[in-house]
Amino acid sequence: MTLPPSNDLLVQFDRVTYKHYGKTAPALADINISIKRGSFTLLVGPSGSGKSTFCMLLNGIVPNLLGGKLAGTVTVNGQDVSKTPVQELAKSTGMLFQDPEWMFATLRVEDEVAFGPENLQRKPEDILQSVEKSLDYVNLTGLRKNLVWALSGGQIQKLGLAAVLAMEPPLVVLDEPTANLDPATTHSVHELILRLRDEGKTVVLVTKDLDEFMSQADDMIVLANGKLVAQGTPREVIQRHGAELLELGIWLPEPAEIGLRLRQQGKLPAGETPITVDEAARAMKNIRFKQEKARGEKKTPGEVLIRASSIQFGYSRKTRALRGVSFDIRQGELVAIVGQNGAGKSTLSKLLVGLLKPSGGELTMFGRKARDWNVQDLANDVALVFQNPEHQFLCDTVHEELEYSLLAQDIVDSVEVQQRVKAMLDRLDIADTAESHPFSLSAGAKRRLGVATMLVGGRARLLIVDEPTYGQDKRLTERLMELINMLRREGITVLMITHDMRLVDAHIERAIVMANGEKIFDGAPSDLFRSPELVERASLRATALRRLTDALRAGGCSIPDGLNTVDAFVDAVEML
Amino acid sequence: MSEQTLQYVDNNSFVHRADALSKLILVLVVVVTTFQLTSNDARGIMLSSLLMLAIIFARVPLASVLKASPLIFGVALLLGMFHLFVTPGQQVLFTIGPLSATQEGLAKGLGYFFRLSIMVTASFLLIWTTDIRELMVGLVSVGIPYRYAFAIFMALRFLPIVQQEVEAVQAAHAIRGRASRSPLAHRFRLWQRYLFTVIVNGLRKAENTALAIESRGFGAYPTRSYVKGFRWSTTGMILVILFVSLGAGLIYWEKVILGL
Repeated sequence: MTLPPSNDLLVQFDRVTYKHYGKTAPALADINISIKRGSFTLLVGPSGSGKSTFCMLLNGIVPNLLGGKLAGTVTVNGQDVSKTPVQELAKSTGMLFQDPEWMFATLRVEDEVAFGPENLQRKPEDILQSVEKSLDYVNLTGLRKNLVWALSGGQIQKLGLAAVLAMEPPLVVLDEPTANLDPATTHSVHELILRLRDEGKTVVLVTKDLDEFMSQADDMIVLANGKLVAQGTPREVIQRHGAELLELGIWLPEPAEIGLRLRQQGKLPAGETPITVDEAARAMKNIRFKQEKARGEKKTPGEVLIRASSIQFGYSRKTRALRGVSFDIRQGELVAIVGQNGAGKSTLSKLLVGLLKPSGGELTMFGRKARDWNVQDLANDVALVFQNPEHQFLCDTVHEELEYSLLAQDIVDSVEVQQRVKAMLDRLDIADTAESHPFSLSAGAKRRLGVATMLVGGRARLLIVDEPTYGQDKRLTERLMELINMLRREGITVLMITHDMRLVDAHIERAIVMANGEKIFDGAPSDLFRSPELVERASLRATALRRLTDALRAGGCSIPDGLNTVDAFVDAVEML
Repeated sequence: MSEQTLQYVDNNSFVHRADALSKLILVLVVVVTTFQLTSNDARGIMLSSLLMLAIIFARVPLASVLKASPLIFGVALLLGMFHLFVTPGQQVLFTIGPLSATQEGLAKGLGYFFRLSIMVTASFLLIWTTDIRELMVGLVSVGIPYRYAFAIFMALRFLPIVQQEVEAVQAAHAIRGRASRSPLAHRFRLWQRYLFTVIVNGLRKAENTALAIESRGFGAYPTRSYVKGFRWSTTGMILVILFVSLGAGLIYWEKVILGL
C-alpha cells in the first residue's frame, strides 16, 4: 500500500482546547492530531468524551455557531475553522447527524438532495447530475419523488448521506449514523460507508458498532474526558491500549475483547490481538473449552400476567401494525421484543400500557380485559420507560418527580413519601441530583430517573424499557442491566424493546421476534440465531461473538452451550 | 404512524397542481373578503366553499379534516361562545346560571366564529395542498429575499414536528398517573408541562435544524440557485378568479340585494 505524501493532511488539530459556552471544564483538551486525505478514521470514546464536539469542530458549528472558547487551531482542507464561516466550510466538510430528519429542509427526496448544492449556487444542470449520482449511490433513485417523512429509518439515513454527497465535500463526517436502526439496516448503511473511500472521500465515523470497520479503517482516534487517549491503526490501538479501552467502557468488537481478555489471563500467547471474527477464529483454532454443563437454572414460570391472543391493531384502515399476535408473559420473565424498524414493536408496547386498544383479538392484562383498563389505573401495574425519558418528566426537580409518582398512587403520608423517595434515589445512584432539574441530567441519569419514576411506588409488576442501550456507552448499559436484573430478583417482570443483539444474546432468555406485524419467533435467542432464515426475515444479525463460535465449531472445535457473553466465553476457555 | 393533520397531503389533485403563489393569493383574497362581509349568511357560504374546495377538489381525506377540526373550530368556537354571553342585548335567548345569551350575542358570536374559522381553514388548505419548497421559490421569484421566504417555510415544516411532540408527551404523561385529586388542578399542571416540554424539545430541534441547515451551506451567498424554478399555473389563476368572483358576488349580494 502506498501512503499519501505526509504533507497531504486534510485535517489538523494543533493544541486544541475547547470549552462550551458557560462551561468551566473543557470538552476537548490539548488535542494534537492529523487526518490524512483519503483515509478512513474511526472516532471512539465513552459517553461525554467529546466525540460530538470533535465532529462539530470539523464543520465549524463549533465554535462559529455555538460560541464557547477555542484555543489552538483546527485546519480543514487548508482553512482555519475558527476564521471560516460554516457555509464556506460546507464545501469541505459534509456532516451526517445521528438523526438526519432534523437536517431535512424540504418535502421530497430529490429536492432534499438538491438543497445543499443549491445553497452553494451550483449550476442547475450540475446539481441535477450530482443528485442523480448521489441517489444512485445510496440506492434511492426509485424513491426520488417520495415524501421525506414517509421514509423508513434506514432510508432516512441513506437520504442524509446522499444529501451530504451531493455537495461533493472531500471530508465526510458521520456521527453515530446507525444508532437507531435495526441490525440488517445498520449493515446495509455500513456497506455504503465502507464504499465512500473508493469514491475518494476522507471519512470520520463515530460508532459503537465497530466490528465491520476494524479491519477496514486506517486510523482510530480514542477520546476520553476530552483528552486524546490513543491514535493509530485500529490494530495498533487495540494492541497497545486495549486494556485501557476496556477500562474506559468503550464498546469493542467481541473478537478483540476476547483476545485482550485471554491475553490478560495468559491464555493467549503474546503476539497480535485478533480484531475480526476471522482473525480470532484463526488465532483460536486449537482452543479447548472446559466441557462443563452450563449452569442453566431453570426457573419455574410464574403466573400469566399478560395474555395476548390474535391481537390486531391498525393506525388506519390501510396499514395494519399488528396482524394477529399471540403470546403469554409470565411473572418474573425477562423478554425482549426484537425485529426490524416498523415491525410493530412500539405498537405492542403501547397496547400493553393501555395507550392503544387492540382492534381485534383478546388482550388480557392481570386478569382483566384490555378494554376495561384505563391508562391511569394500569400505570400502577405497568411501567414504561420511553426512549426519550424527557417526555415523561412533569416536575422541576428530580425529588419532586418521584413524589409525583407516589402521589399518583395514593401514597400521601409525608414520612413514607420522603423515605421512599430517598431509598429510590440511593438505589439508582441519582441522590446527588435530587434538587436538579430532570432535563439537566446526563443521558444515563435521565434513563435511570425514568426507571425510578416508574418504580418508586413499589407496585409495578411489569416494566417495559424501550431501547435501553440507545445513546449509552458500555458502562452505562451494564449499569442499567444490573438494575434490571436486580428488579427481576424482586419479582418484577421486564420486557425490553431493542435492536441490540449483544444485549439480547447476553441477557435475554426469551425473545419475541416481530416482522411486518406478525410474530415469527418466540423462544430462546440461541434457537433464533441458529436459523439464518429467521434472522434474515426479521432484519437481525448474529453478534460477532456468535459468528466466532460458529466459525470455531465449523473448524471442528467442541463448544459448550451458553457462551453468550464475552465473560462466559473467556471463563470457559481452558487452554489454547 | 398516527394521522398527521398539519402537513402536506400527498395527492395530485386539481388544487395541488395550482402554483403555490396563486394559493397564497387565494388565502389573502379570502381573508380580505371575510373582513368586508357583514352577514353571517355570507360568511357561512365562504366557509362552506373553502371546506368544499378542500374535501372535494383537493381530496383532503375527511379524516384529516375531522382531526384538524378542534384546531380549525376550537378556538373559533370559544371566541364565539364568549361573545354569545358577554354581548348585551334586548332579547334573551336562554340563561345558564349568571350568564345569559342574547339574540345580539348569538349574531356577534357566530360572526367571530365564522371569521376565525374561515381564516384558519384557508391556511390549512394552503398547508394541505402546497409543497412548501415551491412556496419559497415562488416568494423568491417575486423579489422576497430567500432567507425571509425560508423562514415561512421552516415555520410550516415545524408544525408537524410540534404535533408529534405533543402527542408523544401526552402519551408519556398519561402513564405517569394522576397525582392530584382535583381533576382541574391536574389538567392545569399537565398543560403547563406540555408547554414546557414541547418548547424545550422544540427549541432543541429547531436549534439542531438551524445548525444542520447552515452546515449544508444555507446562507452562503445572497442568492442561491434553484433546480426547479417557479411557474404561474392556469389552475392557480382559475382558483384565484373563482374566489375573487365569489367574494365580489357575496359583497354585492350583501350591499345591493340585502341592502346591509
